[in-house]
Amino acid sequence: MSSSPNHKDHAALAAQFNKDEARVDWHDQTLWFVRAKRDRAAAQVPDWETLRDTASRIKDNVLSNLSEYLRQFEAAATRNGIIVHWAADAQEHNDIVLSILRDHSVDRMVKSKSMLTEECHLNEFLKDNGVEVVDTDLGERVVQLAGEPPSHIVLPCIHWKKEEIGQLFHKHLGTPEGNADPQFLTHAARLHLREKFLTRRAALTGVNFAVAETGEFVVCTNEGNADMGAHLADVHIACMGIEKLIPQRRHLGVFLRLLTRSATGQPITTYSSHFKRPRRGQEMHIVLVDNGRSTHLGRKDFRNSLKCIRCAACFNTCPVYRRSGGHSYHTAVAGPIGSILSPNLDMKQYSDLPFASTLCGSCSNVCPVKIDIHEQLYKWRQVIVQEGNAAASKTAAMKTMSWVLSNPGVYHTAGKTGRWFMLNVPFAVKNKWNSWYLQRELPEPPKQSFGQWYKKNRK
Amino acid sequence: MSSRDKILATVKNNQPGPRDLPPDYNSPAANAPDLTPQFINILEAIGGAAFLVSGYDRIATILHEQFPDARRILTSCPQLTAFAAGRTAAAALSAAEPGNPHSLETVDLAILPAHFGVAENGACWITESQMIERVLPFITQNLALIIPRNAIVATMHQAYDRIAALEAAANTSAAPPQAEGFATFIAGPSKTADIEQSLVLGAHGPRSLTVFLVDEHLSDAGFF
Repeated sequence: MSSSPNHKDHAALAAQFNKDEARVDWHDQTLWFVRAKRDRAAAQVPDWETLRDTASRIKDNVLSNLSEYLRQFEAAATRNGIIVHWAADAQEHNDIVLSILRDHSVDRMVKSKSMLTEECHLNEFLKDNGVEVVDTDLGERVVQLAGEPPSHIVLPCIHWKKEEIGQLFHKHLGTPEGNADPQFLTHAARLHLREKFLTRRAALTGVNFAVAETGEFVVCTNEGNADMGAHLADVHIACMGIEKLIPQRRHLGVFLRLLTRSATGQPITTYSSHFKRPRRGQEMHIVLVDNGRSTHLGRKDFRNSLKCIRCAACFNTCPVYRRSGGHSYHTAVAGPIGSILSPNLDMKQYSDLPFASTLCGSCSNVCPVKIDIHEQLYKWRQVIVQEGNAAASKTAAMKTMSWVLSNPGVYHTAGKTGRWFMLNVPFAVKNKWNSWYLQRELPEPPKQSFGQWYKKNRK
Repeated sequence: MSSRDKILATVKNNQPGPRDLPPDYNSPAANAPDLTPQFINILEAIGGAAFLVSGYDRIATILHEQFPDARRILTSCPQLTAFAAGRTAAAALSAAEPGNPHSLETVDLAILPAHFGVAENGACWITESQMIERVLPFITQNLALIIPRNAIVATMHQAYDRIAALEAAANTSAAPPQAEGFATFIAGPSKTADIEQSLVLGAHGPRSLTVFLVDEHLSDAGFF
C-alpha cells in the first residue's frame, strides 16, 4: 500500500497485474466461483429481497440516530465492565492501542482480521514502537509473511497460488520444499499459530456488529482465530468504526442471515461470537474510531456507503476488480465499496478509484444492505473533476471532446479525418501510443458517416 | 474538547433527519412441521455430523466409536462425567484448572450441552455457563454438542426470540441470574478456504463437530 502522493494510480497498477494473462484469468475465475456460490445461497432464502430491504432500512435508522446509539452503546458496554475509548483518527487509535499494551508491559500480540487496523496502518506503527503483531487469520498470515497488505477484505490472499504459499511456508515455517497441498499447509499454520495463541497475553480483534441496546459486540470467523486469541489473552482489545452499531440484538438476525451468504455463500460463519463482558480476571477494551466517518455522514450523496457490512460481494462480482486485483486499488478496502469510501479519506490520493469501474451496476445488485454503489461511483467522478482532482490527461481529453461535440463543423471534419486515417494510414491509430488500441481491434472504418448516408437516402 | 465529545458533536450535526426502524422482521419460512431433517442436512453440508439419539448412553457409545484415541475428554454434562473420566488418561485427569484456559490445550474432545439449533444454517447457540471455559469449544481438537431434538428453530429471527426468552427466564428464576458474558453460534467444525478456495476442516479450532439431537421417545435402534 502506498501512502506517498506519488503512488501509481489504479490504471498503472492494473496494467502491471495484467501482464500475466493466464494469472488474470485464474484470478477472475476464482472470484467468479465465489460470486456463483453467493447466488446459490441467496436463491435458497425465499425472502432474500425483503431481508436486504429490511437491513438497508435498519441502517438508515442507525445513520439517522448514530450519536444517540453511540452514547447508548458506551453506557451499556461500560456497565458490562468493558473499557470504552474514542479515537478521532488513525493516529489516536494507534496511540490508544499502544498505551493499553504498554500498561500491561506487552510487546507481543495476536490479532484477528480487522480492516480498520489496516486502514489505520496499526501493524507498521506497533512494529516501529517495538511491538510484534502476529496476524492469525490464515490468509492474513500469508500476506503478512510476504510483507504485503491483504488484497481482499474477506479472502486476504486470494491472489496467491498454493505453490507460492508452499514456498513461503517453506521459507518461514520450515515446511518441506515443493509441498503445496492446502490441507498440509493449513495444518502447518495451525501448529505455528497455536504456539502464538498460547504465549501472547494480548489479543486484538475486529468487530462485525456492536449492539447499542446491550453493549455487546459480535465477531464472525470461520477459523475460530478471534476466539482463540481473545479467550486465552489477559487483555482483549476490539477496534471498530463507529458505523458498526446496530440498534437491537434482534437485528443481528437480519444481518447474520445476509453477511456470510453474501460473502462466501455459506449459510453462516462457523463462529458468530457475542462478547458482552470480560471473563474473570480479563480486561476488555473497545476502541470506537471515527477517522473521517463523521464527516462522511454529512455528505448526502455518499453517506449510504457507511451502511457497508464488509461482505465483499461487490468485489467478487466486479468485472474490474476481478481482472485488476486488490492491490491495484492501493487502499485498505479495495473493490467498488473501497472506491466510494476512500475518496472521503483523501480525495486527491484516491481520485483515480471512482474511475476504476464500468458502472455496470452489478455491485449495487448484490449489496446486502442495498448501497447504491455504482451511482456513488458516478457522483464521485463529478465531485473529483469539479474540485480539480481529475488526471490532467482525462481533463484535457474531456475538454477537447466537449469542443468537438459542441461545434458541428469541427465534428464533421474530425469524423472525416478519422475515417481517412483509418482507411489510408491505419498505423497512425493502430500503434502502442493509442491506449484505445492496446486491448482491442479497431473496427473497419465506414465509407461514409451516418450524416452523409442520411442526406443521400432521406427520400 | 475530548475526542469523544468532538466525534459525538460532528455525528449529531451531520446525521440525516430521523428515519424509523422497520417493523420487527419475521421470516415467512417459520412454520415448517419438523425442522430436524433440514438442520441435519445443512450441518452435514458444512462439514459437521449429526446423530439422532435416545439418550446419554447412546451418546457415550457413539463417541467411544468415533474417537477411540481421545485421551483427554472434558464434559459439563453430569450424565457423561463417568464416561469422560473412564476414558481419560490418569495424568490428564485434572479437569480445567479454574482461571487457566491455557491448560485446555491438550483436550481431545469436549462434550457440551447447547441451548438450541437453527435449521437454516446448522448453527447451535451455546452460552458461557455451558462451556466450562470460554476457550474450550475453540481449543479442543474435537467438539460434541448436545441439544434436545425439539429445540430447533427455523431461522435466525426465531433464534433471537429464543435467546430473549432464555434471558428472561434466567432473570426471573429463583436462582441468582447467571452472568452470561459470552455466547456464540457454532456452525460446523473450524474451517478455512484461504488457500486457493480449497476447503480445509480444522483451521485453528476443532477439526470435527458432532451434534447429538436427543429424543427420549426414540428407540435405541433409530439413530442416523
